[in-house]
Amino acid sequence: MDMINMNIIESAMIAIAKEMGINVQKTAYSTIFSEAEDFTCALANREGELIAVADFCPSQIGGVPLLVRSMLKEIPLSEIDEGDVIVHNDPYRGGLHTPEHTVFKPIFIDGEISAFSVCVGHFVEVGGMAPGGFPGEATEIFHEGLRVPPVKIIKKGVDVPEVWKMMLANVRTPRGNYGDMRALISGVDLGEKRFEELVEKYGKDNFNKILRDLLDYSERRMRAEIAEFPDGVYRFVDKVEDDGIEDKEYEVHVAVHVQGDEVVIDYTGSSEQAKGPINATLGVAWSAAFNAMLHLTDQSIPKNSGCFRPIRVIAPAGTVMNVNYPGSEVGGNTETHPLIVAAIFGAMVECVPNRVMASEGTTHGCFVFGGHDHYTDEPFGGFDFSYVGYGGRSFADGNDATDSINGNCANTPMEVFETRFPWIVEEYALRPDSGGAGKYRGGLSNVKQMLCTGGMLVSQMTNKHKLGAWGLVGGGEGKTGATLFKKAGSDHWETAVEAYGKVSPSKYSNIPMRPGDRVRVLAPGGGGYGLASERARTDILSDVKEGYVSNADAIRQYSLDESDI
Amino acid sequence: MRFSENKYYIEKYVKCDNCGMLIYGDGLKSEELSNLLFCSDWCIDWYKSKAKGNDDPRIPLPKTGIHEIN
Repeated sequence: MDMINMNIIESAMIAIAKEMGINVQKTAYSTIFSEAEDFTCALANREGELIAVADFCPSQIGGVPLLVRSMLKEIPLSEIDEGDVIVHNDPYRGGLHTPEHTVFKPIFIDGEISAFSVCVGHFVEVGGMAPGGFPGEATEIFHEGLRVPPVKIIKKGVDVPEVWKMMLANVRTPRGNYGDMRALISGVDLGEKRFEELVEKYGKDNFNKILRDLLDYSERRMRAEIAEFPDGVYRFVDKVEDDGIEDKEYEVHVAVHVQGDEVVIDYTGSSEQAKGPINATLGVAWSAAFNAMLHLTDQSIPKNSGCFRPIRVIAPAGTVMNVNYPGSEVGGNTETHPLIVAAIFGAMVECVPNRVMASEGTTHGCFVFGGHDHYTDEPFGGFDFSYVGYGGRSFADGNDATDSINGNCANTPMEVFETRFPWIVEEYALRPDSGGAGKYRGGLSNVKQMLCTGGMLVSQMTNKHKLGAWGLVGGGEGKTGATLFKKAGSDHWETAVEAYGKVSPSKYSNIPMRPGDRVRVLAPGGGGYGLASERARTDILSDVKEGYVSNADAIRQYSLDESDI
Repeated sequence: MRFSENKYYIEKYVKCDNCGMLIYGDGLKSEELSNLLFCSDWCIDWYKSKAKGNDDPRIPLPKTGIHEIN
C-alpha cells in the first residue's frame, strides 16, 4: 500500500469536495444554501461507494452510498452518458426526506464511467400542503411535496426542459429553486473537472488501485476502533413526544451489538410508523447509525464507504425507523435522526463512557414560512434554524447553541434574514438555565423572537417541547423548548395548541401570521453529565457571572447559598 | 421493488423482512420461512437465530458491506 500517495489523493479529493461546496454556496439563491450551508458535496466510485466527502451535513454524508446505488438500480451505468446530470429526491427510493435533492454527474475517464460527482442539498420549498417543506401535520408523502425519482435533468450537456418545467411548476418559489438547482449542478460540474485532473496526474490504473486501498484502509481503521470496544449488547430507548397528529409518544429502540470488530445496530422494538411526519426513511435509519459510529470513533478515519463495511443496520419496515409507502416522513431526517444518534450514545455510555455525550436538543427547530412579499412582488419561502444545547460529556460541558448533530448548519446572520424575509428579529440570545445541571453542564440553547412585517403561513417540525434532553450518569435534564405566539394587539404568549387549536405545540402546519404578530422560538437545552453536586464551585460561579445560570438555578440545582453568589 | 412493465412507476415497494433494505431483484427466501423475503444470507441467518431466542447472534458481516442492493 502506497500510504503517502493514498494520503495525498484522499486529501485532494476532500479538497475537491470542499471546493464543490464553496461553488454551491456562492452561486445559490436561498439562504439555506448561501448562509446555513445545508448541503453536502462528495465523490463516489462507479459501484456507488462513497470515496470522499468534506465536513458537511452528517445526515447527508451517511446517505450518499444508498442514494447512488438506488439511483443506479433505475438508471444503470450503461444508460448514463457523458454530460448527463441526474436528480433524485425520492424518500422511498433511498432518499433521505423530500426536501433533500441529490444531483449526480458521471465522471468519464477513457470513455467509461470512473466515478460520480454528487451534491445533496436541502431545498426550502418543495410544494406540498405547506410553504417551506415541513408540514407538521402531513399524513402521507403526497402532502410533503414533489417526489422526483432518479431522472436526467441534463442529457449529454443539454437541459431537459420537460423535467425542469415539471419540477418548477410544482413549487411556490420557482426562481429560487431554479437558482439552487443550478448551484448544485455547478458543484457537480466542478467536481467532475477536478476529479479528471486528479486522475490524469496519477494515471488511471494507479489511481484506481490507490482508491481501493483507501477504502480498505478506512475499513481496517474502523474495525480496529470497534475491536477496542468491549463486546456486548447495549440498549437504550428514547421517545419522540408526538407526531403532530396524535398526542402520544413514539419509542425509538436501539440495541448495539458489539461483536469483535463489527457492530450491528438493531432498531427492533421501535413503535409502528406514525401517522404524522416523524418517520425515518431507510436512508435516515442507516445514516443515523453511521453518524453515531463516526462520532464514537477516531475522527481521523477517512470518511468513505470502507468505514461503513463493519456496520450493519436493522431497521424493521413499517416502524418509525423505516417508514413504509406512502407514510409521511419529512421530520424523520431532522428530528428522528438526531434522536437515534442520542439513543445510540445512551446505549453506549456503558461501553465507551468517555466517548458519548448526554442527549442534545435533537432538533433543528425547522420553523418554516412562506408567502408573497409585497415589497419585491415575489413569492418567498424560508427555513429558520434553532440552535440547541449539546449534552455534557465526561470531560466537558455541552456546546452552546449548536445545530443538532446531523446538521452541522451555520447561523444565518440577522441582517441577511431581515433583508430576505418579512421579519424583524427583536431578540436572539442564549437561554439562561436551559442546560441540564451536572458535573458537566448541558449546553445552552438559543431563543429568537421575531416580529412579522408581512402576511405569511408558518409551519414547524420540532421536538422536545414536552420531553427534555436526558442527562447521563446522574446529570439533569435540559430545559424543554417552546414556540410561543403573540397576536397583534394581544398581551400574552400562547402555544400553537392554545392560540390555533393545533394538536401539538411542536409540529403544525399553515398558521397564518399577520403584520404585528410575534413568534418566540425557544430551543431545547442539552442534558447534563454526572452529578450536579460534583460540579466545581468555580465553574458554577463562573456560569452565574456569565449569566448562563441564574442565581435561582444556582441555588436550586447546585445547592449554593445566596451569600455565595 | 416491483416496477410496472414499462418501468414508469412502482407497483409495490419491497423490503427485507429482517433489515428493511430495499429489494430490487427477486430477493432470497428460506425453506423454513417461505412467507418472508430477505436481502441477503446474513439476514436469513440473523432472523433465524433471533427467532430461536438467541439475543445476540454472532454472524460475520458480508464482505460486500451494507450497501449491496439485491
